[in-house]
Amino acid sequence: MEALANNFQVLFQGLALGSIYALVALGFVLIIRTTNVVNFAQGDFAMLGGYLMVLFLVGMPGNPDLGLPALGLALPYWLAIVLTVVAMGVIGIAFNYGVYYPLRNRPFLPVLISTLGASIFLQNTVLAVFNPQPRPLDKLVGVDGITVGGVFLDSQYLVILAFTILAVAFQYFLFEHTLLGKKLQAVSQDKDMARLLGIPVSLMIIITFVYSAVLGGLAGVLVSPILFVSIGLGSAIALKAFAATIIGGFGDIAGAIVGGLIIGVVESFAAYYISVPYKDAYAFVFLFLVLLFRPQGIFGEKVSEKA
Amino acid sequence: MHTTSRASLALSISVLVISGWAYAADPIKIGLVNETTGPNAEAGAYTVNGVKLAVDEINAKGGIMGRPIELRIEDNQSTNPGTVLAYSKLTGEGGITAIVGPIRSTQIQAASPTIQKGGLPAMVGGTDPSLTKVNNPWIFRLRPNDSYSSRVIADFGLNSLKLKKWAIVHSTDAFGTGGMKALSAALQGQGITPVLTQGYTNNSQDFTPIVLAIKKSGADILATYMTNSQDVGIFAKQLRQLGVGVPWVGSPSIVTDTAMKLAGPALHGTYAVADYTPGSSPEARSFADKYKARYKLDSDVYSSWAYDAMHLLKFAIESGKATEPDKLRAALLGVCGWKGVEGTYCFDKNGDGLKGYNVVRNENGKITYLKHIDFKD
Repeated sequence: MEALANNFQVLFQGLALGSIYALVALGFVLIIRTTNVVNFAQGDFAMLGGYLMVLFLVGMPGNPDLGLPALGLALPYWLAIVLTVVAMGVIGIAFNYGVYYPLRNRPFLPVLISTLGASIFLQNTVLAVFNPQPRPLDKLVGVDGITVGGVFLDSQYLVILAFTILAVAFQYFLFEHTLLGKKLQAVSQDKDMARLLGIPVSLMIIITFVYSAVLGGLAGVLVSPILFVSIGLGSAIALKAFAATIIGGFGDIAGAIVGGLIIGVVESFAAYYISVPYKDAYAFVFLFLVLLFRPQGIFGEKVSEKA
Repeated sequence: MHTTSRASLALSISVLVISGWAYAADPIKIGLVNETTGPNAEAGAYTVNGVKLAVDEINAKGGIMGRPIELRIEDNQSTNPGTVLAYSKLTGEGGITAIVGPIRSTQIQAASPTIQKGGLPAMVGGTDPSLTKVNNPWIFRLRPNDSYSSRVIADFGLNSLKLKKWAIVHSTDAFGTGGMKALSAALQGQGITPVLTQGYTNNSQDFTPIVLAIKKSGADILATYMTNSQDVGIFAKQLRQLGVGVPWVGSPSIVTDTAMKLAGPALHGTYAVADYTPGSSPEARSFADKYKARYKLDSDVYSSWAYDAMHLLKFAIESGKATEPDKLRAALLGVCGWKGVEGTYCFDKNGDGLKGYNVVRNENGKITYLKHIDFKD
């Protein structure tokens, strides 16, 4: 009985962490689909989301070298989330104009390097404004969690699972049942054709960046009460999320979700049954196996079929 | 012409004044190699606070053998090369009696050859046991080295808490693995084999498998060597959520300010070893009060060992009645039973001054002093 409960405990943790990977992977996929670029700063959107919450809930310590005064704030939690979403949207727009737009007609590699540079810039900016000490963040609900049949369900993880389901449903509705979604899909499939049909391609790309930044930011807001707000918050998640997009099928939305969940569950069980110190390796061993036996990913189409 | 003669008159008067003052009380110059800039600048500022507090106290009471202390601070930019440069600069300029700092083991390791070549006593705060075992006669350590933390953890768990089924959880980095090995050896020496030894990589996002393994092992005491405060926070919370309530004795990382802020109540009731603890002795209490009164900050280990270094130098110079490097070195090696803020110093031939730790307890978020455990060897 206890062994069974332990297995369910491990499964629950795996699914919950997997949802976080999935949310960040979703942001990766959206940008890959519209711009053909892997955004290496996607994880840092999550980190920014966490720090924006700290800013609105507590304030910032200030940095005399930068002329930044210390600031004390104590906004209500819901308002902090709303402001974080708005701020992430603005950051998405700035990211589009600062990082992607000037290089939009260049090949894949320069844009990729540009996002990598943005990642380093964002991390160091946050480091200068806040200090390196990680911060705690309150949970969304006041209860720590509930115990069902010997399995402890962390309330924040339940919130994360619920939000992931909502985000997937929203995304499905947006892309399949709205005109905006159809336009976004058209842009991702063929920019020239979309432009000829009168779709404002640049605007669609801005919307994609805003959506990805908000999604990444919300993933950070949700995961911070458990993993804490720190400069490295994004990079740890982003690497696994990137593996998830490849496992799921590069650029496939359903694949990103399934890939994220698979990685979460695989590493959780492998850590429990095989060895903890190699926990991070399992995700990549699994990625290696997928690349070996199904290089296009679980939901990906074969390249030859596309051509 | 007129102006020139007036200037030369002023100059000769000032020379007279300076040389006269120097004759009256030639200052003792003491260097400080400090993390003034760079990523550890915050800690560096605390070290300067501790040193300045000591220097002002000594100078206010007539200095060392009637000579005031003159402090020469050299920035190492929180780097290893910066430390090497700072040491060669200070030892090269002449007239310096001893050098204090830094606190990071890696920086001291890098500067060790320069310290040896410079031939001046170096009062350091790094805790890597190997620092004093490289045949460098000039290194003096003002904090207990890491090999004692594991012996104190083992001693406290076995003899004070009287618990015998140990689970050890450790980071797989150099610090965590080293601590785990030393603790296993200390327990083995008492005939105890841990029921569980579990490593994890830094920045783990989930400790559920480890917590379940602790539960399954039937351990009645948990000892940890964890590096990052995020890991401490996540682990502590999951431990409590999954209902593990056995006594927990940790390395100092579980009583850092950051870890306690992150983990909150999940760390209440835990034990840890710590070198500087305000409540551990009248000396420590008095230092904590003076520091707080002057800087409006709580004192910590970054200031305590450096404060001790200055007072210990005064004691050694006065007991040996000399500032020459060789004589000062002999005087320092002869110090035994001198009470400082960090503990009671008794130097061995390697230059290790302290051989024990305080055991502290997290009482509802406040650190309280329990006992001090010292070793002879």
